[in-house]
Amino acid sequence: MNGTMVVTGAARGIGRAIAEKMASTGPLTVIGVDIAPELALSESIIPVQVDLTSIEGPGLVRKAVEASGSPLLGLVNNAGITRDARLVNLTDEDFAAVLEINLGAAYRLTSDLAPLMSDSGSIVNIASRAYLGNFGQFNYSMSKGGVVGMTRAMALSLAPHVRVNAVAPGLISSEMSMAIPEDIREKMVDSIPLDRMGTPDEIANTVWWLLTPLSSYITGEVIVVGGGRSLS
Amino acid sequence: MSGLVHWAVDVDEDWASVLAELTRAFEAARSVAQVEESIVYVVRQDDLLGRRGAGNAMVACGLLSAARTAALEGARKGWTANVVAFDEKERSVAEGWARRLLDDGSVNGELIRVGPGHIGKTLA
Repeated sequence: MNGTMVVTGAARGIGRAIAEKMASTGPLTVIGVDIAPELALSESIIPVQVDLTSIEGPGLVRKAVEASGSPLLGLVNNAGITRDARLVNLTDEDFAAVLEINLGAAYRLTSDLAPLMSDSGSIVNIASRAYLGNFGQFNYSMSKGGVVGMTRAMALSLAPHVRVNAVAPGLISSEMSMAIPEDIREKMVDSIPLDRMGTPDEIANTVWWLLTPLSSYITGEVIVVGGGRSLS
Repeated sequence: MSGLVHWAVDVDEDWASVLAELTRAFEAARSVAQVEESIVYVVRQDDLLGRRGAGNAMVACGLLSAARTAALEGARKGWTANVVAFDEKERSVAEGWARRLLDDGSVNGELIRVGPGHIGKTLA
């Protein structure tokens, strides 16, 4: 494959693993997008520091894609946050912040970049196993359910030229999961049939598969990568 | 058991419209949860499959996921959260199913599909 790929939330965790996977595989131009001021990525990754919830955010990414001079083969919407609380205590601010970043930013960026996607391009949206429901995450769960809805609708509207799929990670070893109190995290791991947290690389591998022609007949699907947690 | 039936309204394809509807649904759920009452979201079957555009799909699928999470919280307090998805021809039946879910109280975190449109399609 020869072209450009974009991944958001590229500074750390799953997004970083995806960007590094892209950069290590084939002659690709990889654009890593993040709000973090320290975008310490591999030299082969073009950093774009931007707030994707800002009005000008998606346009700045679009400019970087156009400046790359090669067709846009892939987009991975990964940027996300959590602001957990039980529903009865969830504030308007925490609700809006999670929806704006996890869903609104992904939707606006995808709408902006879709016209640039090449034939046989692929979009992968990072949802979460929490789209099936997760205690204390009304806002996060709603945002990731929204990502699933966006995935299905865009799979229909962008077919047959562009495929759109979602990956729903379970408990992954990252900054986000390390913020969970250790005793709760251990209980969560106990409920995972594969008996461990996943790694960012395992999500990156699944995303990469969806970005490439290896998955050329798959669109509109949600792939849960959660060690079997959805069964236990 | 008492509670609220919340019908998702159609939205435009712009984000502001989507966020406004999701916020309306959040405020409805929070208000009934605070008094330990139940909620049923009612959405269109087509929107769970993304057939009427991204805006409506984000709302419908977002409400389904939110209801599943609310159901986990309600289970500890004795209230429920469910979703009814209807085919257009079955719209009038959806309200009855929603009321039944509120009155019954034994069904929680479920998606009830009214009409055959979902058969052979992806599980939500």
